[in-house]
Amino acid sequence: MAISSKQWQLTAGLGTCLAGVTVLRIFDPATSGVFPPCPVHYLTGWYCPGCGSLRAVHQLLHGNPSAAWAMNPLTVVLLPFLTYGLIAWVVAETYGKQLPQPFLPAAWIRALGIAIILFGIARNIPLHPLDLLAPGAMLRF
Amino acid sequence: MFCTQCGASNPDNALTCAQCGRSLQPGAVTTPLPVTGVVIPPGTTVPNYLVFAILTTVFCCLPTGIPAIVYAAQVNGKLQAGDLAGAQLASKNAKTWCWVSFGVGLAVTLLYMLVIGVGVIRQIGRH
Repeated sequence: MAISSKQWQLTAGLGTCLAGVTVLRIFDPATSGVFPPCPVHYLTGWYCPGCGSLRAVHQLLHGNPSAAWAMNPLTVVLLPFLTYGLIAWVVAETYGKQLPQPFLPAAWIRALGIAIILFGIARNIPLHPLDLLAPGAMLRF
Repeated sequence: MFCTQCGASNPDNALTCAQCGRSLQPGAVTTPLPVTGVVIPPGTTVPNYLVFAILTTVFCCLPTGIPAIVYAAQVNGKLQAGDLAGAQLASKNAKTWCWVSFGVGLAVTLLYMLVIGVGVIRQIGRH
């Protein structure tokens, strides 16, 4: 049976995702050297909005939502929506079927963009309580 | 009328939903959806690539993702205003910036892995 290029892409994509999730479930980015540190943090010492997201997903895969929240609350909030969005995209690309997706007013999307930038700035400010937003800071309380 | 499956607004005489393809003929199950107050021009699927814009902005820490988010907002803003051509243009720009972000992210990652790889090899060589 001939496998179409779309099926091949889908299999390859899903396989890559599954492999990534498995590696992330087994190795903790906080302690193992499997994942290299973020280049932005390595070069500048700053936390970007995504800093701690791998550690957060690792904690989520182990069923620790509070530890995940401490690593990166933004990731924890966005992850379900992004996952659904990606699934909807894959389904639309592969089967040509649109999954129901809410229409976001433009103002919401702009607010989200601003929130991401502000979150990135706030977690670098060494003032209490903003310093709690730095990856892992909440674990110390 | 609103599609019972995806909620998209369709012309009253439409046979199938322009967004998801579900039959809009009588006989199809009709459950009224809560009205969101947003009027989308009928028969439009203008992707805003918001998921990819957020992924590249947040998880690659890339400033190039910000224009993608701005254009994603513009797509929905123009749709809200009924400006289909404007929405399609913004959609194209959003897509472009997503690809730019992806390309830059890939280049940075490869370069970074190369640097780390060289470092590891040097470390091993010293021992």
